[in-house]
Amino acid sequence: MNNSVQKQLNILDYGLQSLWRKKFKNLCVFFIFTLVIFLLASFQCMNTSLTRTAEKLLLTVPDITIQQLSAGRQTAMSVETIKKLGTIFGITEINPRIWGYYFDETNGANYTVLGTDDHSFAPLQLDLLESGQYLKPEEGGQVVLGQAVVDNLALSGRRYFSFFRPDLTLMSFQQVGVFAEKTNLLTADLILMSLEDAGDLFAMQKGYVTDLLVTVGNSNEIQTIAAKIAEKIPGSRVLTSAQIQKTYQAIFGFRSGFGAACLLASLAAFVILAFDKGLGFSKEDQREVGILKILGWQTGDIMRLRFYESLVTSLCAFVFGMTLAWMHILFFDGGLFRPVFLGWSVLRPSFDIVPFIQLQDILLVFAFSVLPYLTATIIPAWRASMVRADTVI
Amino acid sequence: MKTDIQPVIELSEVHKFYNQGQLREVHALKDITLRVEQGEMICLRGPSGSGKSTLLSIMGCVFGPTSGFAAVGGKQLSRMPDQYLTCYRRKTIGFIFQHFNILPELTVENNIVLPLLPLGISPHDQKKRAALLMERFGIMHRRDFQASQISGGELQRTAIARALILDPPIILADEPTAHLDSTRSLELMESLTTLRQDGKTISLTSHDPLVTEHKNVDRVVDMEDGCIVESESVCS
Amino acid sequence: MRPSWLLISFFSLFIVIDIVFLCVHNGRRAEFDATVPSLNSLVAQMGLSDLALSTEARYTRHPALTDPVAPFMDHIGAIEHFPSGSFMAPSSVRKVGMPNE
Repeated sequence: MNNSVQKQLNILDYGLQSLWRKKFKNLCVFFIFTLVIFLLASFQCMNTSLTRTAEKLLLTVPDITIQQLSAGRQTAMSVETIKKLGTIFGITEINPRIWGYYFDETNGANYTVLGTDDHSFAPLQLDLLESGQYLKPEEGGQVVLGQAVVDNLALSGRRYFSFFRPDLTLMSFQQVGVFAEKTNLLTADLILMSLEDAGDLFAMQKGYVTDLLVTVGNSNEIQTIAAKIAEKIPGSRVLTSAQIQKTYQAIFGFRSGFGAACLLASLAAFVILAFDKGLGFSKEDQREVGILKILGWQTGDIMRLRFYESLVTSLCAFVFGMTLAWMHILFFDGGLFRPVFLGWSVLRPSFDIVPFIQLQDILLVFAFSVLPYLTATIIPAWRASMVRADTVI
Repeated sequence: MKTDIQPVIELSEVHKFYNQGQLREVHALKDITLRVEQGEMICLRGPSGSGKSTLLSIMGCVFGPTSGFAAVGGKQLSRMPDQYLTCYRRKTIGFIFQHFNILPELTVENNIVLPLLPLGISPHDQKKRAALLMERFGIMHRRDFQASQISGGELQRTAIARALILDPPIILADEPTAHLDSTRSLELMESLTTLRQDGKTISLTSHDPLVTEHKNVDRVVDMEDGCIVESESVCS
Repeated sequence: MRPSWLLISFFSLFIVIDIVFLCVHNGRRAEFDATVPSLNSLVAQMGLSDLALSTEARYTRHPALTDPVAPFMDHIGAIEHFPSGSFMAPSSVRKVGMPNE
């Protein structure tokens, strides 16, 4: 073997032995560091997984969503508004929709109610449903349910159930289909019904809806058309698909940033600990360096020795922590961080996080953990190597 | 003085200051002139603070003098940068320390091979070299013992084995008998004598009569306050 | 065996484990990617704007569509529990029976 490689291996061996000699202290540092890296990496990986998943799935959101505002709050809007928009060139389709939330007091859960008259459900592939069928346009009172709703309502085979209208009269529904498990990420809390039924359930004025979905022929014109719509309907809120996507990324970014800030604080504390540990240079350590130096070890050799020790500690912790984080995301669906990302919903959508591992995240975690640790230990290492050889004479 | 033989250690008008130019300036060596020939065993004697250790450090290439001429093994120290000094020291000098300075958590064998590590010598060769020396000094059976678990005599022999691992021509020993009883001290002197017979140059510091009056010590150099007071030949 | 080989074995072991994990990851992603087109059509058909992640309130269920004042609509002093609210417990008033808006 090459002489200089052999020399590095010899120094590494010696470093490993001296780490092992102080195993209690070094294992403590190792485990704390592993924990910090595990938390940081899990958080980062979870964030990436959720954002990338959202990015992929929400590619096809409607080009423009229009809502009516009154007194700064969202209110119902008349279907008549569609007529006002008919004159705008470039709009290919406008669909009215009722989008509301039904609070189930017995379970304390919120369901999302989606009323639509878009009967082009037929082209939807049947594999999106686990059982049953889609709404039939001519029959009222039918619903298609998300899996979490089915579980929460405890239907257990029953097809009929009732919800309260605002005036506390009951409205009964017939469940005709259940969304497939693979769509849980989108449909877990969804109750799909006809526009008319939704209006009835929420006791809305006839001919009123919550929002309008606009499809634009040329995607380059979305901004222009959105501006025109805003002009035609005063007091409306016009959201483009790009805005929706952006908001979505920002949400995860915010949560992740908040979490990362907390984690970075713990990382900073750890780095200070590492720095302090390196500076707390005992008489024994000093004597050891003195002996090594007088026996012919160069200053560079001692620095290398200390550097290898920190490198080994931090790299081992990095590899170990990273692997644990991947395990956490891959096999436990990021259980520790789900509450942070998912809030405290009563109705817990049960879905598997689609893991997304990317090189950037690995490098990011590396840059925020191993590098600060090495930097924090370099000054103490340099100080240690400056012990003079004659201190032991 | 035998001037016909090339001296192994040659010091002339050597001065050494610590903290030069500062408040706590110490003039540790004053105008030292000393020659040590090959195969000679000399002993530096004097009270603590007399400059013995500083002189030994210069002879051991730990640092150069502040002024004056110092040459060890034919090389002039004051011209050498620090890292060459270290390289040179490693090849030329074997150290035996007052407390032996054996690392207590390492095994006997690992202590002995310490000087070999930065030279890039393979573990196999390290073991081979250490085994020869351990055999020679009778500590083979303690090879895998931690240094903290072996007796004082074995510790001392471990220290000698470590000093010899790179087969240096000069052995320096700083108060080697300070913490040994008389039997062990005599044993150590015997070991040093055999080294001298191998042609090694040996320089000791001590104020132990067992050492200074030992029959194999060629010369005792008395020091006081950084100066050589007297240089007497013990043997004819 | 010299300690550095032990270290190298440690790293190799973890690299192998990580490669296995990457394979699992790729499998899961491929599985997901296969469902993406049909989910995309679902999103397009129903105009879904968000993932069904937090169903606690309308502005957490559909953050991309919600109006900015939504968190404060329930009662004066309502905690804006999104996103900073994610790190605090919901107010007890909510639990006692107010619609979980």
